[in-house]
Amino acid sequence: MLSVVLFFLNVNIMSTIEREQIQTEIIRIFSEQFEIENPGPDEDLRDVHGFDSIDAIELLGEIESLLKSELTRSEKKAAMEIRTIDQILDYIESLAKTRS
Amino acid sequence: MTRRVVITGCSSITPVGHGRDDILAHLTRGVSGVRKLKHDDLYSKYIDAGVFGTVDYSVDYDFSRRDRKTMGPVSYYACQVAKEVLEMADPGEDFITSGRMGVAFGSTHGSPLVQRKLYQALFDDTYTGYSSIKAVDYLKFMVHTTAVNITKMFGITGRVISSSTACTTSSQSIGFGYEMIKYGMQDAMLCGGADEYDLSTVAVFDNLMACSTDFNETPHLTPRPFDRDRDGLVVGEGAGAVLLESYDSARKRGADILAEVIGFSCNNNGGDLVLPNRNGITQTIKLGLKDAAVSPDAVDFISAHATATKHGDAIEAQATGSVYGKSPMVSGLKSYTGHTMGSCGVIESIMTLYMMQEGFIVPTLNLDNVDEKCAMIQHVREIIEADIRIAGIQNFAFGGVNTCLFLKKP
Repeated sequence: MLSVVLFFLNVNIMSTIEREQIQTEIIRIFSEQFEIENPGPDEDLRDVHGFDSIDAIELLGEIESLLKSELTRSEKKAAMEIRTIDQILDYIESLAKTRS
Repeated sequence: MTRRVVITGCSSITPVGHGRDDILAHLTRGVSGVRKLKHDDLYSKYIDAGVFGTVDYSVDYDFSRRDRKTMGPVSYYACQVAKEVLEMADPGEDFITSGRMGVAFGSTHGSPLVQRKLYQALFDDTYTGYSSIKAVDYLKFMVHTTAVNITKMFGITGRVISSSTACTTSSQSIGFGYEMIKYGMQDAMLCGGADEYDLSTVAVFDNLMACSTDFNETPHLTPRPFDRDRDGLVVGEGAGAVLLESYDSARKRGADILAEVIGFSCNNNGGDLVLPNRNGITQTIKLGLKDAAVSPDAVDFISAHATATKHGDAIEAQATGSVYGKSPMVSGLKSYTGHTMGSCGVIESIMTLYMMQEGFIVPTLNLDNVDEKCAMIQHVREIIEADIRIAGIQNFAFGGVNTCLFLKKP
């Protein structure tokens, strides 16, 4: 689950996690929470899988509650541009850096 | 120039069953859907009423997450009956998405279960509490949540009407949908109402001393419309939908016509928001008869609102009797289901349609001794064979809203 990823984020060892491990976790989240199975890293989540702005907000809410850290408005706005799994991974990495 | 309006599909989820066969089995056997109240860790310990018109069976939903994510329990009900109606009437996807079909669907207050979560967050003075408010919560509890979840699920692009007038919610849906087609604004309207299991409604009526409390240990014996020993209403849950089409549209595509909607009226008492009003109800019935262009003696059956309150039943009986005398047979169908609030009008219309098709009328359940204050109408005391050619469906709501629908056998 995402909590596993965020646990790593919280203890600031993000850099030690392989990006592939995070991707595995994210894909599992997409399967369990959004019923989107095996999205490709560069697939447009909205066009291909119907992942819409409501889903993006839901994902952010979960990230916030599990991080126990409120995202800033600009961080939330930045997330609205996310369209692919790769971009989600980039986003998580950037959050980790600002909180390390 | 006006157009004739017909019903080409119907479905309901009720305390006495889901779908035609199940509902008819309960009605013909005199089986009540009233059960003991379920505890909710909030209101139930304070409420005197101990009964509820309960959907006590599971419904097999098959909705994608895309659709589910904006739905509270009330929209599950609404979308399920809408889906079944579209499957039954089979108007075709091109017609459904053409903009010539609209939706008239409502509920008493969106999804109270989701509202309750929101209020709980308000009293949780932490960021965790605040963040528990989800982006989709408003979409789940807004008053028009049922109507627009239906438009989303089926791609309906026509007009949206979302009445939320308590007990007249779904009778208004049918009535306003009928007028949309009659006057040429739309060719078809998917109409109905839904309400989920919720004790806040019970709490309100309980505080008003309007709920039945004398039969908490024998739920099937209440409500008792028109009975001498009636002691109040029983809140319930459920959903119902009908597809209305112009007669020409239905004929052209060879649809099975279940009934014709020939009249609708709606007025307000223009005063008290709670007390039933004999003059207001009388005028509603007369307006409906005028719209239907039929005389009182042409009406064979009346589905009375009949919530089983002391005052409401007497006023309705007197108003009905003043217009019809003892000509039409009268039953109070809430005696089977309890008061399903926003869905009662459509559920009672569908039950009336079933009886019209089957050629019988079921009695008012628990009507053991007719109250002399309600004796001026022709009560149905046992199941009878009857050819219902024209039926009136009466519903009245808090806020002084009254409606009357008239259905005709095709």
